[in-house]
Amino acid sequence: MDTPLVVLVVLTSVAVTSPLYEMIFGKKSLKYVQYLTILSLLVSLILLISSTLSLTPQESTVPHLLRNDTLGSFFSFIVILVTLFVSITSFDYMKGNPNERVYYSLLLFTAIGMTMLCFAVDLLVIFVAFELMSLPTFILAGYNKQDKLSNEAAVKFFILGALSSGILLYGISIMFGITGSTNLEVISQSLTSLSPDMLPFVIFSTVSMLAGLGLKLSIVPFHMWIPDTYEGSPTTVSTLLSAATKKAGFASAIRIFAVIFPLFYFDLSLALAIIALVTMTLGNLAALTQKSITRMLAYSSIAQAGYLLIGIVVLPYTNLGLIGLLYHSFNHAILQATAFLAAGLVRLKTSSSSLDSYNGLSKVMPITSFCLALSLLGLAGIPPLNGFWSKLILFSAAVDGGYAWLALAGLVNTAISVAYYLLVIKRMYMDETSIKAIKEPLIFISVLVFATAIIIVTGLLPNVLYDIAEDITISFLANNPV
Amino acid sequence: MLVDVSFPLISILIALPILAGLAIPLLFKNSQKYIIHYAILIALIELFITFYSYGLILSNGSGGEYNFVEGPVKILGNFGIDYLAGMDGLSGPLVLITSILTLLVIFGSRDLIEDRKVLYFSMIFLFQGSIMGVFTQLNMILFYVFWDLVLIPMFLFIGIWGGPRKRYAAMKFFLFTFVGSVFMLLAFILIYFSVSPHSFNIPEIAGKIPLSLQIISSVLFFIGFGVKLPVVPFHSWLPDAHVEAPAPISVFLAGLLLKMGGYGFLRFNIGLLPEASAQYAWIFILVGIITMFYGAIVAIVQTDIKKMIALTSVSHMGFVLVGAFTGTIFGISGSVFQMFTHAAAVGLMFMLSGYLHKATGTRNITVIKGLKFSSPRLATLLILGSMAAMCIPIFSSFISEYMVIVGAIQINPIYALIVAVPAITVGYFLWMLRRVVMSDPKSNVKKWDLSNVSTIALVLYLVPLVLTLIAPWLILDVVNPFSTVYAANFRLMSGGAA
Repeated sequence: MDTPLVVLVVLTSVAVTSPLYEMIFGKKSLKYVQYLTILSLLVSLILLISSTLSLTPQESTVPHLLRNDTLGSFFSFIVILVTLFVSITSFDYMKGNPNERVYYSLLLFTAIGMTMLCFAVDLLVIFVAFELMSLPTFILAGYNKQDKLSNEAAVKFFILGALSSGILLYGISIMFGITGSTNLEVISQSLTSLSPDMLPFVIFSTVSMLAGLGLKLSIVPFHMWIPDTYEGSPTTVSTLLSAATKKAGFASAIRIFAVIFPLFYFDLSLALAIIALVTMTLGNLAALTQKSITRMLAYSSIAQAGYLLIGIVVLPYTNLGLIGLLYHSFNHAILQATAFLAAGLVRLKTSSSSLDSYNGLSKVMPITSFCLALSLLGLAGIPPLNGFWSKLILFSAAVDGGYAWLALAGLVNTAISVAYYLLVIKRMYMDETSIKAIKEPLIFISVLVFATAIIIVTGLLPNVLYDIAEDITISFLANNPV
Repeated sequence: MLVDVSFPLISILIALPILAGLAIPLLFKNSQKYIIHYAILIALIELFITFYSYGLILSNGSGGEYNFVEGPVKILGNFGIDYLAGMDGLSGPLVLITSILTLLVIFGSRDLIEDRKVLYFSMIFLFQGSIMGVFTQLNMILFYVFWDLVLIPMFLFIGIWGGPRKRYAAMKFFLFTFVGSVFMLLAFILIYFSVSPHSFNIPEIAGKIPLSLQIISSVLFFIGFGVKLPVVPFHSWLPDAHVEAPAPISVFLAGLLLKMGGYGFLRFNIGLLPEASAQYAWIFILVGIITMFYGAIVAIVQTDIKKMIALTSVSHMGFVLVGAFTGTIFGISGSVFQMFTHAAAVGLMFMLSGYLHKATGTRNITVIKGLKFSSPRLATLLILGSMAAMCIPIFSSFISEYMVIVGAIQINPIYALIVAVPAITVGYFLWMLRRVVMSDPKSNVKKWDLSNVSTIALVLYLVPLVLTLIAPWLILDVVNPFSTVYAANFRLMSGGAA
């Protein structure tokens, strides 16, 4: 079965039609829209799980545009899972918003864009998917239109997003000029017989594409929009941005860099290593001083992008890098989603995202606090939670690939990051509060508990995901020798 | 070399407390009446299993090799993380003291801990299980997992049940030890890729690490274990943590948590990096001596009795470090023995400081007067506990310290100067007793004394100390085979010298 196409059709059919239900069903339509959104996401999830786990080669109707491989299925599984969490929690979070129906439709459009991006192997399709993923998120970021911060978030995000799309397209067009094709496979072949004087153009094109994708990957120096946008947008949308769109960006980056690496792997790898170092250090240091949890998580998300980038840095040297990247992508998506959604629930109930509102929270919102605490410990990489294992593999990959200094930097950064994660836990469990008990909404809480269960279970049984990541890596590198 | 037993003794030692601890919130949600009985029951079962396994090692004389080995069971695919557990002459006494102290801490918590008991007792067992894991895991990454897992209960212990500056102390404790552990993890990863075939399992990598990496790893381990032990430049978290922690938790801190550092130095620096350790032993010994003197001298001027005992701990841990790096049988055995006796002796002193605070409302040495009149039982135990901490020869702490000193003198007579440390220790302990116990009572002091049960619970701390004085073979027959192996290895590396 051609999974990407089926998933895209399932999601599109709901996304396109759901805004129309209001005309047919009137007031009841909201429930239908919500249920259909969940249903379509669930169906896609099941399809993607089966396709990730299947060992037989998958067929593909349009192999030169969307490659139906396990790498794509794995990443799109991650993004759809996060979208599912976001959709369910939005039942509570977006309640009462005048445009609630369109919201779900936009979520689905983002999911479609992300899924396409995960599978795309043609630079033009990558660009189209990139845009399809970005445009709905611009609107979603500004969804509270009465809220000044939300507007600022959307405008900032839109301007930088449009700029980065332009740069990405510029890089693509230069690559087309050099190789005469936009298909990654053809590009890979023509790059092997490239005349040396064309090399500067390849470098220029690579840098442009990195800058374009970098905005979504949230790497330094393309990170400026992140704290403001995450803070201003509805927190569910921030969840989507940090846990999902970033992962789709990484899926695409893996495919692009796997093609470009053979040409000048040493310099490119070193350059990316330096970017990774700067990204994680800046993210962690900036997170230390934040007063608002969403901003803190935003900077933490930047730092985590630095860790993830290690996987691409050592791509030419060791399999462990890609294994770690895949593994950490999943773990980070779950951890970040849990942390952001918990922060969203607190914001919904206390209408504040300042760190001061977390004082003594464990007494008034025990379940939320527990889930948040566990996800923060996971992000910090405290064993035996899942974040520890994938970080361990990423840092080991750095050592194996000859970047011991990057592993040292990563570990020191981990030590720094513990400080701000722990400070939140200290506030929740050790400080006093004046807030009275808050009722935690059942549906929201069950999503948090479910995600926390994944954190614990994948932490205690790391083997399962590691094996999947290893299989995917082996089959991907067999098709794309780096 | 590996003694195989089909019964998973070690897994039970680790899993029983952790599972029992996780069950507490479910079992005692509504009524906490029987929580203490439950805790004592679990601790007794654990103690029984420990006695059984320790007795087996003792009677077989198999401390020089790994007993009850389980695994390797793959945990993370082809990346060398396996579940591999074993117990040798180094783990044995430490596992034994862990089980003993947990039971005694639970006894002590009866009087001294009042709120949030459900969380408290489940954390006690999580702590015990993790410590068991630290002392028995032979895979470096799983060792690290348990090592970090220990931090979480301890962070909550200090931060929730602690004194006025508890939050500061808890954060400081966590950050110091976590930062240290990160360097240790880097060394593990470097070692993994340097041996072929790549492995994290200690028995497989022993003797394969190149010298250059041994030196780098020594430095990284020194930071990781040095923070925990603690050695002098990294010790500043310890007085804060001890002063703020409730008394039973101070027992855990001094009795078990510090031993993780000593265990690490012996298992990894001496065991895995003998070449580098033999070459640079003098640096470690020097740091150890500085630590001893620093702890002892700073302890003299303390007015808070708990801080004084905490600094005594620092000083005693210096002996552990020196003993380990002498690389002689006397030194290594003495170092392990010292960890065992120190846990019981200083554990008792910390508990007494808790009761002292309860009896007099303060821990200030200069304020408390005439304890022998107002609380005779407490005063008696305080004198006995001080004698144990001073290493007076009616308790086995004397033997352990004596062994370390002999070991040090064996390699260089100049190290005889560490004999001065026990002399300083005796000095400040006697001065403390003179002021607190032997002084004239203040008028209108209310009388408060230990209950019968508490007295018995406290006297139990002294039992292992007296028992191992009469029969030191109880410990040494387990430790000596281990130190013979390690010392032979170490001497080989230092070119037959010493």
